[in-house]
Amino acid sequence: MVDAARQPLVDVRAFTEVEKVEGFVGNFKVTLREKAKYVIADRCNGCGACTLACPVEVPNYFEMNLAPRKAAYVPMSQSVPLIYSIDMENCIHCYKCVDACGALEAIDFSQEDKLVEEDIGAIVVATGFGHFDPSVMDEYGYSRYPNVITAMEMERLNNSAGPTAGDLIRPSDHKSPKTLAFINCVGSRDKRYNPSCSNFCCMYSIKNAVLLKQMHPDVDITIYYIDIRTPSKGYEEFYDRAREMGIHFSQGRPSLITEDPETHNLVVHAEDVGLGLVTEKEYDMVMLNQAAIPQPDQNHMSSVLNVAQSPGGWFMEYHPKLRPMDSPTDGIFFAGACQGPKDIPSSVAQGSAAAARASRILHSEEWEIEPTVAVVWPDRCSAETKGRACGLCVKACPYGAVKIEGDKAAEIITAKCHGCGGCVAECPEDAITQLHYTDAQILAQMRALLADKPEEKILAFRCHWCSYGGADLAGTSHFDYTANERGMKVMCSARMDSDFIYEAFRLGAGGVLYSGCHPQDCHYITGQLVGAKRASRLKKIFNRMDMTEGRFRIEWISAAEGDKYARVLNEMQDVLDNIPPEELHEEIERLKPEMSKRLKKFPGVPGVEEAMVYSDKLVKAIASQLEVK
Amino acid sequence: MSHDTTVQTFADQVKALPGGEFLELCYACGTCVSKCMIQQKGELKYNPRRLLRLAMLDMKQEAFDNPTTWLCSACDLCYAACPQEIHISGVINAVKKIAVEEGRVTPIQTAKVNQQTCVGCGLCTEGCPYQAISLVEKKVPFRGMIQVAEVDPGLCMGCGLCSAICRSTSIGIPAENTDNEILDDLWRWMQPQEVMS
Repeated sequence: MVDAARQPLVDVRAFTEVEKVEGFVGNFKVTLREKAKYVIADRCNGCGACTLACPVEVPNYFEMNLAPRKAAYVPMSQSVPLIYSIDMENCIHCYKCVDACGALEAIDFSQEDKLVEEDIGAIVVATGFGHFDPSVMDEYGYSRYPNVITAMEMERLNNSAGPTAGDLIRPSDHKSPKTLAFINCVGSRDKRYNPSCSNFCCMYSIKNAVLLKQMHPDVDITIYYIDIRTPSKGYEEFYDRAREMGIHFSQGRPSLITEDPETHNLVVHAEDVGLGLVTEKEYDMVMLNQAAIPQPDQNHMSSVLNVAQSPGGWFMEYHPKLRPMDSPTDGIFFAGACQGPKDIPSSVAQGSAAAARASRILHSEEWEIEPTVAVVWPDRCSAETKGRACGLCVKACPYGAVKIEGDKAAEIITAKCHGCGGCVAECPEDAITQLHYTDAQILAQMRALLADKPEEKILAFRCHWCSYGGADLAGTSHFDYTANERGMKVMCSARMDSDFIYEAFRLGAGGVLYSGCHPQDCHYITGQLVGAKRASRLKKIFNRMDMTEGRFRIEWISAAEGDKYARVLNEMQDVLDNIPPEELHEEIERLKPEMSKRLKKFPGVPGVEEAMVYSDKLVKAIASQLEVK
Repeated sequence: MSHDTTVQTFADQVKALPGGEFLELCYACGTCVSKCMIQQKGELKYNPRRLLRLAMLDMKQEAFDNPTTWLCSACDLCYAACPQEIHISGVINAVKKIAVEEGRVTPIQTAKVNQQTCVGCGLCTEGCPYQAISLVEKKVPFRGMIQVAEVDPGLCMGCGLCSAICRSTSIGIPAENTDNEILDDLWRWMQPQEVMS
């Protein structure tokens, strides 16, 4: 940290919050709230005289509230920059610090929060993780039994710069504990709290045990665990070393901790899985390895930065394997545990990668984006034709890339557009198109796919990121599925225009599958939601038309669910097989006028008419070839 | 196309029954065992975690021979503690159901109905915590076609609640134990050391 602060090109803004992020890659406008320190940064030399003079004592958050701090303070002794601040919530305005500061005159009680706007090229988010509060787990008695502590509290107790100067004492009687139990997976791998594994706790509790054993060889330590996970280089060797040092490992998750009310010793009730018997062992102190959870204000940050969250609340990366440090928004990167729990080596690796990615932006004059961006035909926008923009495109855009100003036609900020196509499909005037996925192109493909015996075909709309991958996996895994499937790829389920579905049924398709990512996996933040809403609306309409249940199907299929893709299509094929051909024919013919009615505007879209003429020719060519055979 | 021809394994059978569907989620942490009163106070061979393992590994006969199959009273202390939210007594009940269907008999005493005095009021069917009692229309000697209570021995856990509820003393656990013996058992259950010394 000190090195970084000394670097002339690094500007450390401590005690500052990000209020607002506007703009796009290379051109962010970030509003920062520089909080009032009540100390003038340029004048403070970090001597600490104010702290000595301050009469107020409050719990010290950095010491996990195990020690006090003053109202004039630095968060920790290694703080960078070393500038003191005054905690106004607890200050009693005795002004002793002002006297202590003396000639420096660094203390200024009139300071106020300052809003600063900065031009930023790229953003690296490294907000870290929060801690699960084990007091909600009644069975472990944390906060009820004084000698049950968390791993973070142990970290301070065992630290030579900590509140006890490294003396291991237990809270109830300040005596050194001789027997200790560590409990892993407190609140993690637990469906009632956090179903995921917190990644680093196994190594972390082994590390704590080894450190303690080195300092106090007579201490007896037992680690209760469900599984010990040591997946990285050198980790298993470290685990071996802990066993050699005489640290006990007991497989079995404790179900209960009870306390002797007189001695405040604790009894841990657990099944030893190896023995198959319940053990009830007494310890002087118990440490809970609590789960790593997202920061309490992660949701707020996610909306400030406009980046999505994965299940569990962590920030969602662009791609879990190929781009784990990129956010779905260009120019914003993740480093460390804000993207998911990870240990120090992984955080450092991700941080370096994020810095390298960010510097790529800072060093380029131009920035390449995906070519599949949306473009508006201003003359078709309702702002031009009806004098008022409907604003549906703005609502559909997950990136805030659509701008409507006054009575002017909608405008797409190309640098912000990621090409999901949500606005294109939502536009009731068909005034927006997506390059490389124009209505005309998609229509021509559909007509070619449904050229021959459409009633036997199942037209499957798949999104580029998930269900297309699922279909691909179904193929490469050789999962059997119906040969009547005809696949169409668009970038996102948000692009699957209701016009396409009507047109498919109008052309006589037997079935239509509307598939995309699971809601939490969407690569366009909320694109799937736009698609899902439209799909359920379509489903209702088709139900009202009395279409056979199962001919139009909505399924969310991830790239790993090839089996599901195959199963869904086979089920759709079963539906078609169970309708007698004459009945199916009758139903298709009955619904055709309905579909045409809903498609009235569609042929007017630029390019569509030409596409129809062209595809009609194509269809004829295909048909004649078939006859030749 | 479909895989109808595959043999249904014991694990599949368990999973197909209501309550058994979460079987495979168990990662063997042992929380259920250390929560369980039966294992701690009585039967050391009783171990829900191992029964789940036996079922997962298709060890059918071993599962049927295991006391866990028969002794679980579905108190569900383990259900509230299970980090995987498995309804363990549901799984055990599914195993028991299959065992009974295959002709195994529960080793515990189950309730019996005296058909000569049962009036078919149905109070016991409502009171039974294991839904083991139902009213059936059947031909009873000397009484003709009447409605009487019938106990499913596969579901009955022998708690005796029906016997306490019944107004015509027509249902109950065959009295092998006197009241004093039951009190002694209860005492031993609560204070194992003192009784032994």
